[in-house]
Amino acid sequence: MPEEFRVLAPLVVAALGTAAVAVLGAVRPRLAPPLAVATAALALSATLLMPAGGQVDLPWAPTWGLRLTFAADGLARLYALLATGVGLAVLTYAAGYMPLHAAHEGYPLSRTVRLYSLILLFMTAMLGLVLAQDLIVLIIFWDLTAITSYYLIGYEREQEASRRAALTALLVTGISAILLILAGVLLYTRFGTAQLPDILAQVQAGPFVTATGALIAVAALAKSAQVPLHFWLPQAMVAPTPVSAYLHSAAMVAAGVFLLGRVHPLLALSPGLQNVLLAGGFASMAIGGVLALAQREIKRLLAYSTIAQYGYVVVMLSLGAVEGAAYYILAHALIKSALFMSAGAVTEATGETDLDRLGGLARPLPLLAVGSGLAAAGLAALPLTMGFFKDEVFFAAASERGGLVSVLAVAGAVLSFAYTWRFWGGIFTGRLRSQVQRIPATLTLPVLVLGLLVMLGGIVPDPAASLAAAAGESMAERATPLELAYHLDLHAPTLMAVITWVLGIVAVLTAPRWTAAPRVVARIGERYGPDRGMFMGLVRLTTFSRRSRAFLEVRNLQWRIATVLVAAALVVGATIVLAPPWPTFRVGRLPTSDWPLFLFLLLAALSALVATRSAGRLILVLALSAVGYSLAAVFTFIGAPDVALVALLIETMMTLLLLAVLGLLPIGLARAPAEHEPHPGRRRAVGFITTAFVFVICWGVLSWPAPDAVMARAHLELAPAAHAADVVTAILADFRGLDTLGEITVIAIALLGALTFFVSRRSA
Amino acid sequence: MILALALVISVLFGCGAFLLLKRDLIRMAGGIILISNAANLFIVSAGLSRGREPIYPLPAGERISDPVVQALVLTAIVIGFGTVAVLLGMIYRTYTARLAKAVDEGDETGRTPMSMPPEDRVAD
Repeated sequence: MPEEFRVLAPLVVAALGTAAVAVLGAVRPRLAPPLAVATAALALSATLLMPAGGQVDLPWAPTWGLRLTFAADGLARLYALLATGVGLAVLTYAAGYMPLHAAHEGYPLSRTVRLYSLILLFMTAMLGLVLAQDLIVLIIFWDLTAITSYYLIGYEREQEASRRAALTALLVTGISAILLILAGVLLYTRFGTAQLPDILAQVQAGPFVTATGALIAVAALAKSAQVPLHFWLPQAMVAPTPVSAYLHSAAMVAAGVFLLGRVHPLLALSPGLQNVLLAGGFASMAIGGVLALAQREIKRLLAYSTIAQYGYVVVMLSLGAVEGAAYYILAHALIKSALFMSAGAVTEATGETDLDRLGGLARPLPLLAVGSGLAAAGLAALPLTMGFFKDEVFFAAASERGGLVSVLAVAGAVLSFAYTWRFWGGIFTGRLRSQVQRIPATLTLPVLVLGLLVMLGGIVPDPAASLAAAAGESMAERATPLELAYHLDLHAPTLMAVITWVLGIVAVLTAPRWTAAPRVVARIGERYGPDRGMFMGLVRLTTFSRRSRAFLEVRNLQWRIATVLVAAALVVGATIVLAPPWPTFRVGRLPTSDWPLFLFLLLAALSALVATRSAGRLILVLALSAVGYSLAAVFTFIGAPDVALVALLIETMMTLLLLAVLGLLPIGLARAPAEHEPHPGRRRAVGFITTAFVFVICWGVLSWPAPDAVMARAHLELAPAAHAADVVTAILADFRGLDTLGEITVIAIALLGALTFFVSRRSA
Repeated sequence: MILALALVISVLFGCGAFLLLKRDLIRMAGGIILISNAANLFIVSAGLSRGREPIYPLPAGERISDPVVQALVLTAIVIGFGTVAVLLGMIYRTYTARLAKAVDEGDETGRTPMSMPPEDRVAD
């Protein structure tokens, strides 16, 4: 295997693991968790072994310029590491969590298998998304994440809330994904390539770039749950904790800002777009932060916190601080997944999800309190954690931009500080208010490991910084060094951090005086927010669809057929009116030798008319067979004896079959039922209209002067070579022998079907 | 002749459409038969040449009928028959199943076919 194929190793491992867990788990549910954890571990090591800058380039549809291109650049490596690393922690956690969860919800262990394979599928989609260098491949994996997240969020499919949350997430991220596809098509048609590096090398500032950039940005912001498309994320908290810990910290929501980073050179060309992104980021920070303070349910608090935290990232990306954004994503993913998992562990231990009924858990669950505390310290940006640096890079970027942005940045960070304390302090400090059950070590261990990683990253900042610097380099296409260290001198970021802590402590201490305010905001949001807007929109759409169906749909089969016929007639009529084709109609000659042909045609038409007028079914059948036999005669005179013979045979069988059916039907059925059919006039009108438009079409086509009969002559000349005197036989049995074989098969199957209808036992 | 062929094809098709719009299932089947007849006639008429039958020895100097459309129509006739056979089978099952239901439960007035005069023993 060539060296560069190691780039694909994580993707292949995750994909194979997904299938293995799904298949083996169906047979032995107990095998699923260890297998899933092993897959994640293997994928993580494959990611670590990925050659930096390696690239795989396979032709996919070369004539369209589509290639399967995957590259392990800095950005891809960072996200792949997150997807597999956090994935490993989450799957380990799930192995302990899901059996408890299944026992609570009262379903068998075998049903949890789906969760493991879906999480692995999501990991596959994320890996494909971040490695892809081709826009089409990227879009496919983007959609795969949306679809997989639908199943993961709606994991508790019996619960209505769960299904609704899944649908909301799918609608918000799926509809916005269409904008991404649109942008992809625009870029592809403009630049003639779907290769992202080639596109990014060619883009020039202008309205086109602004428009496509805006389309991509909307898709990315919806995925990252940014205001005003944020409302799907808090709803998605109905999913089991492993899903939230994975999708809503390191994977799904991170995909949005990943896309912003991937197309950063394109977005950077439009200052207006950058300013919109800046405003959107701050709006998310403010709304997410305030609403996090209003939440009582611990996972929803974390969800709003995620909205706010990705607001930070969007702000940094729009300020051009790409390496800082990369570092922020890394730090936040570790912190937030640890916090989500500790929330789930707390709920499993106490059975509570409400902050008002939690407290004092530091004593019964010390290890969890430490792991969760380290992560919370990171979220609150305390020193000796990665969080300190995440705010440092953020403040550095903000202070470069100026006063207003700096003030807003500090305000956002104060909110983070306050809700972080609300979360950790609310759970682990104060009075113990609930019964505590023992929880397995697998619930605590991943939290502790991630918490320690957050602390380690705060003490030894270099490895994470170099990862982020490499990611920044591949986003901005320039060197973006990132050096993180503790400064004792008073430069702007440090000063801002100190102000944040002071204000944060003040906010926490004065909490009882302002707690009502965020709840008011939350209530206003519920009533007038985008969530409500989307709900009303869906209701209106459903009503519109139902009304238009009631208006348009023809429920009666007969009139539905009539609709098709009349519509076709209208199209033909319109064509005639708009482009009169009169000169092409020819009457044709009627030599005396054609008189027999003419008479039999007349007979066929008259018999057909009789069939429509027949009162009894027997007359109908006889009239029909008269049409068939007349046509057989027509075929004879038109120079087609083979067709005439077959028509004669088939017509005989058809007549016998029809008579047999009439005979088999119960007494009275052979005679026609009394005419109780409404609207005879309408039916006749449709018949005339149909006759008219078919006549126009047929006359037009048959009037077309026949070109030199090359095709026919070729067949005529070839027939002797097939040792056949009859050319039609030669065509059927030789030139198109395979077609005839297919036809025989169809007839055999059709007659077998008919036979089953006729001979199968009566349902008595 | 062109006009006559076009007229007959359209009359066959129109009569078929008219029958197709009826409620009676047998008549609907008749409509389908007529429409497929119209289609077959159309294909044959659309042959590139018309004259003697394309069978060796070919008469010298005379026009020969297009054998390609004939092969096509041969196929179409046979397939059409297969379709109608299945359709008739379905119609048969529909009537007998409905009648069986009527025997078990009676119609809305509670009468069963056995208690009806023969003319009324209609499942439809």
